[in-house]
Amino acid sequence: MSWIKEDELNLLEKISANVLKAGPMPKHVAFIMDGNRRFARKKHMERQEGHMQGFNKLAETLRWCKHLNIQEVTVYAFSIENFKRTKDEVDGLMELAKQKFLKLLDERENLEKHGVCVRVLGDLEMLPLDLQELIAKAVITTKSHNKCFLNVCFAYTSRYEITNAVREMAWGVEKGLIRASDVSEALLSECLYSSNSPNPDLLIRTSGEVRLSDFLLWQTSHSCLVFQSVLWPEYSFWNLCEAILQYQLNYKSIQKARDLHQEHQALLQLEADRACVAEHLQHHGNGKPADAQRRQEALLHYTTCREERIQDFLEALKHKRDSYFSDLCSKDVLA
Amino acid sequence: MALLYGLIWRLLLILVHINRALVSWVRVRLRSWKGRLWERAIAALLLPLALAGFPDHQKKLNHNPDANAVTGNRAASRRSRWLSDGRSLEKLPVHVGLLVAEEEPSYTDIANLVVWCMAVGISYVSVYDNHGIFRKNNSRMLEEVVRQQQDLLGVDGSKYNVEVLSNSCDKHQHYVVSCRPTVKVLSPEDGKQSIVQAAQQLCRAVENKERSSKDISVSMLDVLLRESKNFPDPELVVKFGPVDSTLGFLPWHIRLTEFISIPSHRNVSYEDLLNALQQYGSCQQRLGQ
Repeated sequence: MSWIKEDELNLLEKISANVLKAGPMPKHVAFIMDGNRRFARKKHMERQEGHMQGFNKLAETLRWCKHLNIQEVTVYAFSIENFKRTKDEVDGLMELAKQKFLKLLDERENLEKHGVCVRVLGDLEMLPLDLQELIAKAVITTKSHNKCFLNVCFAYTSRYEITNAVREMAWGVEKGLIRASDVSEALLSECLYSSNSPNPDLLIRTSGEVRLSDFLLWQTSHSCLVFQSVLWPEYSFWNLCEAILQYQLNYKSIQKARDLHQEHQALLQLEADRACVAEHLQHHGNGKPADAQRRQEALLHYTTCREERIQDFLEALKHKRDSYFSDLCSKDVLA
Repeated sequence: MALLYGLIWRLLLILVHINRALVSWVRVRLRSWKGRLWERAIAALLLPLALAGFPDHQKKLNHNPDANAVTGNRAASRRSRWLSDGRSLEKLPVHVGLLVAEEEPSYTDIANLVVWCMAVGISYVSVYDNHGIFRKNNSRMLEEVVRQQQDLLGVDGSKYNVEVLSNSCDKHQHYVVSCRPTVKVLSPEDGKQSIVQAAQQLCRAVENKERSSKDISVSMLDVLLRESKNFPDPELVVKFGPVDSTLGFLPWHIRLTEFISIPSHRNVSYEDLLNALQQYGSCQQRLGQ
């Protein structure tokens, strides 16, 4: 029931992995691990057992990803909507999570050896305090590891995440760190829980459902979406290869769309900066229209100042988030 | 060794492309064969009816009266067939998004899709492409929809008057009456960019000390992003084209949207759309529970 599985791939799997690696490979894959309860019903086992099998499958999938050089994996473990389930099931899932995070802390040496950094994304204040403390310990223990990254979305929905990002920007404005005009798509992305990760290249949902269920809606706007009908606990290496092949078939067209979007974003930012500069020059000018060179200098100066402001704000935000975890850890030490 | 793997990989891709091409060829062949059969059946059934009845129509028309009566009848039978198809579905989405992930869209085919959606009973239809082409050619889209409405639904198409909401800043925005189907033309600006604009609005309020950052909630942001209060989230998005991505389509609004793909919007048939709607009917949402 460990987080890390160390076996190698068999010969056929190795060959297939090498064939796939000849093409473009996703660097960050996100999974919606759906189908645990249907699996449990199918195999006539308890729901809790289905969830345990689901966790095992996660560990196995991480092993395959490591062999395929997929550096970052994000998984949807528990949605805020899942709190609506029966108290028994929710308590069972919280208990499972506690066990798994305790196990993770047990295996910290192994995690260090493999360089695994574990992050937990979500509205963690909604979780029981003892689970929050375990999570904080796990995150702080693995913080410096940088070979591969596992992001676990727990007590998470995308709308809450986006709203939180807006709230953080508003906090920045309140504290005088940034201005309302500094708000942009890029800044919002930096304020999301997932700000330390690039956007997922590939999103896989199992069990045949064809929706996103409030998962990474912002980050996956230009990701390859693959919906597979296999139930999560039955997921195989070949299912993963199939999904990666799908990603490779879509690679060029998605890349083109991403580039188009980024170009457009850069243009919007330039226009916004120009508008701010024009307004500033109007207010502080001497009535005469400024010449092109003065406008250009003012634009450069404004852009530099804006970027500095944003850097300072992001530092402050990072500090706030780190303090949340370290406070939880120290509370536990004192207790 | 790396060269060998590279070769095998390229071969694999070619095989997949061939497979896809074969599948779509077979699909087109089957449909054209079925289509001819259907047209012949309709002509055989309706022509005698048209010749026998409808003397008023024959008096008014000055060119081939039979053909027009047949057309009128054909439209009427189509309308009732489509309406009954809609009623027979397990569930019908209130808002369907048509996501065109193909280069050079065909306005006629999109207009057909819009008209079929409305005829089947769907109240809101939105049309999206990630280059913003539909948004730029908004009026052309509207003309095409009206034209197809006439062709497919006949003279009585006025029952399905279309409201086209295009620009969110449009001061003459129509307020939607619930029984009138509405078409919305979307572009990437309606996605992340409108979330950013809403965020800027809230931050400006905070800057002016009208609001505290702690007040900002999911429902507040939701209200701001739902400029027309009657426009619900899309329950279904039908994606056309080989690209497996949402390409920036309304990220906030698609949290519970079902995604169903149709290979291409060019020469798309009513049956293709109906299949997608039937597939949607069998989706079960547990909403977290």
